[in-house]
Amino acid sequence: MQGVKNHDRPTAAGLRGPFGSVKRARPPIGASRPVAAKRRREGGTYRFLVFALPGMAVYVGLVLVPMVMAIGTSTTDRNGFRPATHFVGLRNYGDLFSDPAYLLTLRNTLILTAIVTIVPNVLGLAIAQLLDRRGWAFNAMRAVFFVPVVLSSVVVSVIWETIITDDGLLNRVLRGLGVAHPPGWLSDPGIALYSVASIMCWQMLGLCVVIYLAGLQGVPQELMEAAAIDGASPVARFRAVTWPMIAPAVTICTVLLMIGGFKAYDQVKVMTNGGPGIGTTTTLAFDVVVTGIDGAHIGYGAAKATLLLVLIAAVSFAALRLLRRREVEL
Amino acid sequence: MYVPRGTRLRTAAAVAVAAALALSACTVGDGNVTKASGSGSAVTLTFLTFENPNLTSEYWDAAIARASAKVPGVTIKKLVGTNSTAYLQQLYASGQAPDIMTSISPDGFAQKGELAPWSADEMKNFIDPHAGAIKGQTYALSFNVQPIPLVYYNKDDFAKAGITTAPKTYAEFLDDCAKLKAAGIIPLEIGGGGKDTWAAAFGFGAIVSSDMLTKTPDWFSKRAAGTVKFSDPDFVAAAQKAADLSKKGYIDTAGLSRSYSDVEQAFRDKKAAMYPMGSWFSASLDKNKPSFDVGVFGWPSDAGQNVVPVVTGGGLMVNSKAKDVGLAKKWALAFAEDKANLDNSVLADGLIIGIKGYTPPANVGAMYTQTLDIYQKAQQSGQTVPAWMNTAGDGSLPPGFSDQLNAAIVDLITGRKSPQAFAAYLDQRYAAATR
Repeated sequence: MQGVKNHDRPTAAGLRGPFGSVKRARPPIGASRPVAAKRRREGGTYRFLVFALPGMAVYVGLVLVPMVMAIGTSTTDRNGFRPATHFVGLRNYGDLFSDPAYLLTLRNTLILTAIVTIVPNVLGLAIAQLLDRRGWAFNAMRAVFFVPVVLSSVVVSVIWETIITDDGLLNRVLRGLGVAHPPGWLSDPGIALYSVASIMCWQMLGLCVVIYLAGLQGVPQELMEAAAIDGASPVARFRAVTWPMIAPAVTICTVLLMIGGFKAYDQVKVMTNGGPGIGTTTTLAFDVVVTGIDGAHIGYGAAKATLLLVLIAAVSFAALRLLRRREVEL
Repeated sequence: MYVPRGTRLRTAAAVAVAAALALSACTVGDGNVTKASGSGSAVTLTFLTFENPNLTSEYWDAAIARASAKVPGVTIKKLVGTNSTAYLQQLYASGQAPDIMTSISPDGFAQKGELAPWSADEMKNFIDPHAGAIKGQTYALSFNVQPIPLVYYNKDDFAKAGITTAPKTYAEFLDDCAKLKAAGIIPLEIGGGGKDTWAAAFGFGAIVSSDMLTKTPDWFSKRAAGTVKFSDPDFVAAAQKAADLSKKGYIDTAGLSRSYSDVEQAFRDKKAAMYPMGSWFSASLDKNKPSFDVGVFGWPSDAGQNVVPVVTGGGLMVNSKAKDVGLAKKWALAFAEDKANLDNSVLADGLIIGIKGYTPPANVGAMYTQTLDIYQKAQQSGQTVPAWMNTAGDGSLPPGFSDQLNAAIVDLITGRKSPQAFAAYLDQRYAAATR
């Protein structure tokens, strides 16, 4: 039975459907004797459990257990440099909302997430429309757009840092074009957050292009031709045919980009370290590490991490519900 | 489907072995192992090092081999990491703490009982055995002294601006800055962005040292005790001086987006005339001479003192739960007192050695000699003060506070925070860091 999906597996009760619905089916050959059938069921369950065990162990050990431990730690004043730890209840959470530094961090993260969610989505769809053609040149362009996605965020950040630093390539070009005082892309506190967001958009763009291309290639050509015969303009065809058909791709891109925005850490660490100045590019994920690891305030850092988890879960859930409902309506 | 008992056992064993192998991959990055000479059953001790352009892998390997040759029965396993408090804390928290470590502040670890103290007898060869002491106990072998910062300057730029000697008072310093600016030369290269923001803090650190610590050397111990605050007038006045330097256009603010190495390169590229930096810069200048002559002076105070902030320490520490604490201490002492090791650290990192009877090698460079001369004169005339941003022990800054201080200094330099708001912010973050 190896390699057979669970929902396709014949059982004595029938055939399990892909969404849990059970269809009645003829009993399989050799299942007439109840003892043999029971033994077979037990053996199958056991084998599946054995195969699932390593994955489950890793997930439980490296995700669930630390998560529960972090939630527990967030109710203490645990400090890496203090031997004694005390239970403080929800005090850490209360302190968070009266901490101006945390509120600045929250604001930065929301701005960053909004940019990182909207820009690659819009540009990705536009570029996917342009690349939705046959030919080696278009295939090559798809690969070019996808390259940044497979690069490490740290590598991307190091490359961009050398380009947009005050003495970097970009400002040298601008000076060559006669701009006497080009912007401090990473040193100006008013610009740095947008520089970081732009680089994240650049890296995530390829992902959106690929997802939207897959979505576009799933749009039936007959529908497009029928709309064209009916006299629909390209804009009308996009609005009435393409847009509803790629709704699942919009959902996937939006949710992935939102989660990526909330989790932003690598780019901030490499390019700005949360600065320039006080917290101008500090994000929630970066702040968790600064508080819990660098500052040794493990309890307070755990409270920030827990709140980030709740925020990502709540926003992702809300976005998924909203976008799924939209998919049905369209 | 029935699965025979033997198959079940084999499957379960395979899963267990795979899981064990997967989990065993999660460990600290390790490096070379230097074995003890002629020892049958040597104790293996781990030694946490860090590498940079001055202190290379070869430097550490050779130094470890020399110390190991003097202490039979020890095999050293070199670990390469970073010399940061946060990193060491992670190693302790994950049960991977090294037996011996170097160049990390003992603060926090010592109070938690994680380090073995050094006795007076063990430190009998050290000039300042109580440097960086915590409640009377020394935890790091204070084998070197570092002035942080001194002001390295471009003599050609000074000559172009008509300046003949280095400034003795702060008023002269401001005059020189004005002359340099009038000659089209930016006076000060201060910078370090991103992860290197620490490098941007040295100018302000020097002002606080020269203005406040000459009068109250234990100011930061008092801050820890809560008897003084950053918002007190003397600290705000020091902040005002730093803000004024920037407001008058005496600082190359483009440096705030440069990495540490790029800031150094900017000074070499003549982007500014003066560069406040730690004494290790002398080794870099001696190894790779710039295209102009370089001089050095201590940051001038209002009263006309060329103050030299110094930190003594930087030495080896031993884990109180090391496999063999006695042997680890013996090896650490051998490492710290070995003449060839000390000579190499002088040549590679410009360290001033704090071991009795030590004389630097004959082939040290001119900048090292100038730096050493300034330090020795300041020491003789009582013009050394604690390098408050880098000192360890009682009165040092709490863990995690330095990064916030460095970020706030950038806001002060760029004018985003007034000196008063800067001081109030530091008080707020200090309270948060020590809560």
